[in-house]
Amino acid sequence: MIFLLVFHTLVFSYWVFHIQSLVDAALGMRNVGERDSASGIDWVIQGVRGLSLMRLRRPLMALFSMALLCSVGFSAASVQARSLVLAIQGEPETGFDPIMGWGRYGHPLFQSTLLRFDPQMNLQGDLATSWVLSDDRLVWRITLRDDAVFSDGTPLTAEDVVFTFNTARDADGLADVKALKQARVVNDHTVELVLNKPRITFLNELVSLGIVPKATYGQGYARHPVGSGPFQMVEWREGAQLVVKPNPYWYGQSIPFERVTFVFGGEQTGLTLARTGQAQMVAVPPAQADQPPEGMHLLSVKSVDNRGIAFPVVPAEGQTTVSGAPIGNRVTADRAIRVAVNQGLDRDALVQLALNGHGRPALGPVDGLPWNNPQAHQVSYDPDAARKTLNAAGWVDQDGDGIRERDGVKARFKLYYAAADSTRQALALGAAQQLALIGIQVEPVGASWNEIKHYMHQSPVVMGWGALSAGEMRNLYSGATAGQGYFNTGFYQNAEVDQHMAQAEAAASYEDSLAQWQAAQWDGHTGFGVKGDAPWAWMVNLQHTYWVSDCLETGPLQIHPHGHGFPITHDLPSWRWTCEP
Amino acid sequence: MKRVMVSIVSIVTRSDDTGKSYRLALFMAIVVTLMIWGGGALPDTMMAVNPAQRSLAPSWQHWLGTDLLGRDMASRTLAGLAQSLKVGLLAAALSTLLAMVMGMMAALNRSLDRLVSSLTDMMLGMPHFVLLIMVAYAFGGGTVGVTWAVALTHWPRLARLLRHEAKTLVKSDYVQVSRSLGRSNLWLARHHLMPHLMPQWIAGFVVIFPHAILHEAGLSFIGLGIEPHLPSIGVMLANSLNAMLAGFWWVVLAPGLGLMLVAFGFERLGERLRRQALPPDRGSSGVSPGQVA
Repeated sequence: MIFLLVFHTLVFSYWVFHIQSLVDAALGMRNVGERDSASGIDWVIQGVRGLSLMRLRRPLMALFSMALLCSVGFSAASVQARSLVLAIQGEPETGFDPIMGWGRYGHPLFQSTLLRFDPQMNLQGDLATSWVLSDDRLVWRITLRDDAVFSDGTPLTAEDVVFTFNTARDADGLADVKALKQARVVNDHTVELVLNKPRITFLNELVSLGIVPKATYGQGYARHPVGSGPFQMVEWREGAQLVVKPNPYWYGQSIPFERVTFVFGGEQTGLTLARTGQAQMVAVPPAQADQPPEGMHLLSVKSVDNRGIAFPVVPAEGQTTVSGAPIGNRVTADRAIRVAVNQGLDRDALVQLALNGHGRPALGPVDGLPWNNPQAHQVSYDPDAARKTLNAAGWVDQDGDGIRERDGVKARFKLYYAAADSTRQALALGAAQQLALIGIQVEPVGASWNEIKHYMHQSPVVMGWGALSAGEMRNLYSGATAGQGYFNTGFYQNAEVDQHMAQAEAAASYEDSLAQWQAAQWDGHTGFGVKGDAPWAWMVNLQHTYWVSDCLETGPLQIHPHGHGFPITHDLPSWRWTCEP
Repeated sequence: MKRVMVSIVSIVTRSDDTGKSYRLALFMAIVVTLMIWGGGALPDTMMAVNPAQRSLAPSWQHWLGTDLLGRDMASRTLAGLAQSLKVGLLAAALSTLLAMVMGMMAALNRSLDRLVSSLTDMMLGMPHFVLLIMVAYAFGGGTVGVTWAVALTHWPRLARLLRHEAKTLVKSDYVQVSRSLGRSNLWLARHHLMPHLMPQWIAGFVVIFPHAILHEAGLSFIGLGIEPHLPSIGVMLANSLNAMLAGFWWVVLAPGLGLMLVAFGFERLGERLRRQALPPDRGSSGVSPGQVA
């Protein structure tokens, strides 16, 4: 048996070595000399990375970690005292440029932000010492600390902040600062951010946008970031590892680690590193989380990282997006179908099936956050209620094939999921099975994100979100974001919901905005909750599971946003090593 | 009926080499029937995900255990092998058909010969698996992509062999006579070439078949083949890497052994057929169907 396994592995890896080197050479990703200088595993992983366009990456990674299990010998092995090796995934595709979206979820590590949340979700100043919103809610006046210095030794001034915000506004990256009209310098340590119209969630930009140096920002910054944050980059080998060391100019407390290495590459890489004792923290898939190796324990972090089904809510009438993607679905355009799906999902069973119990059922997009309206999402697993809903709407199984129909249209749809994501696959399969019981036929389709992009306005998709900002609701449910990126794929639009969200954005303070955010979900007669239009069927909230060395003390952790990776490094400077080095 | 049975029994129980071949063929036929029938006839409950039965070790209820989502491994393996067999059969049929057409075209027409030869050389000059990946990717992956990938990459060696055989045949007197009587190339191909190429063609088919199955598994393994939630040996093996690290050894046992068994069985069968189609004293052609894949 063992012989067979080894044989399989060797044969497969032989093939893959061939492919990777050839494809590598063909794409001209790295020249040979450069490759020779890197250690074995690095260039192997690097080569494989070139294939990611073919959604091969995950299985290939799996393969390598298996094949090289016996010969892992890169820098992680020569860890010195008080160095950390973390295998927590989440390598950013576009590099470490905050303007291109780095640090959006969690903390940007190299850069510092104006504000930050403490573990209890209270706002604290980071670069800012005071932040005041004008009475007309259009101008943020921010005073900066005077001891912030970039890791190259140059001081951080108001010019850099203004430059960062204005560049982010003009860039087509992920940073959502479109509401900004202009950032301007008042004096060396004071800036003003002027908005187009009142937008209370702009506060989130102050928390998430890392400040870049005006003098040296430019092409290549994403690969060689310079910031005023707690760490500076030593090296980044794409697909292999990122090494960082403390930034000596940082204004915060002293950091007890002289080097932190982030190892990338597949779930198996992490599991292997943990089992061989070479990593001090590893992100593990929930299905395997329950058996940590000796010397490590399970850390399960609560998150707002959610998964749900996004329905197309408009009927199919031959309309398409600019890029030609079809819009609309005649089955899910009926609210009764969407409500019945919500009633027919056994979310507790899904938590067991897909998350091995490391999660909780999700009823709405913002479960457990201050702006949630529990009334809007009152739904429980009740197949009988689901059947009644469908019967009342005229969906009846007339031909006895177990699938309901109405006016000759069968109650069935395809449910797309990202093929490389085993959790989403399990959710899609589980949902399909549960919904068959109420007479809705769901056909799971595993696809790459490129394919999903084409079909997501036409067919329901298993999506995941979860930000620590109420603005997320605007992204998902506003008529203005219909068809924009992955946000409102179903083209949901409800004037009253839009109205409530606009009022929330225009609120005088964060506290005042909450009531309007909740009204958008359900205001007594409409909303985007299940009670209202139900454009989504939310399924589960994840818990992010890690194996952590018994010697590593992480302290209190913030509730995690979307992303099983870098968010955990939010408070890395305050982690402690409790054993002898 | 009785006479048929008796003759089958008498053939299968022959103690010589032919008897062995027939026994192996009969065994593989039973295996194939079992899988294709079994793959379609399995109750849905065995294939369904089940949160209450995740990662169970083999037991009486689940002979080969269950996977991470609580699906019965024995049923899944059977269904996966059935899937592999379907893809393998289709791909091998397409591939050998292509080889046959190419081989005969080359023998009957000089300019076509040049085309076929250079096409064959070109295909053989390219790395096999890379070619497979590229074709599968071009066809958008999935079952269709895998089938085409295997079909379009496995014909050259058999085509080269058939071309050689056909050329020898074309030079023989009776073909020359037919030709001088004004028979068309198509007629020659149908009446003189095809019947004589049949043995090599069948042997080639059986030899390509296990390769097709293995390549289907390989492509699915790296994510270019069958969709990940459908039962497929390659997908199951890819998923099992994770499970094995958690200690669930049975998740890899069933699909791995099943694939080995089927591929090995057909390999043996092909080897035997090759020997029957091409006895050692006729090994003059220098190429044998055993090398076609």
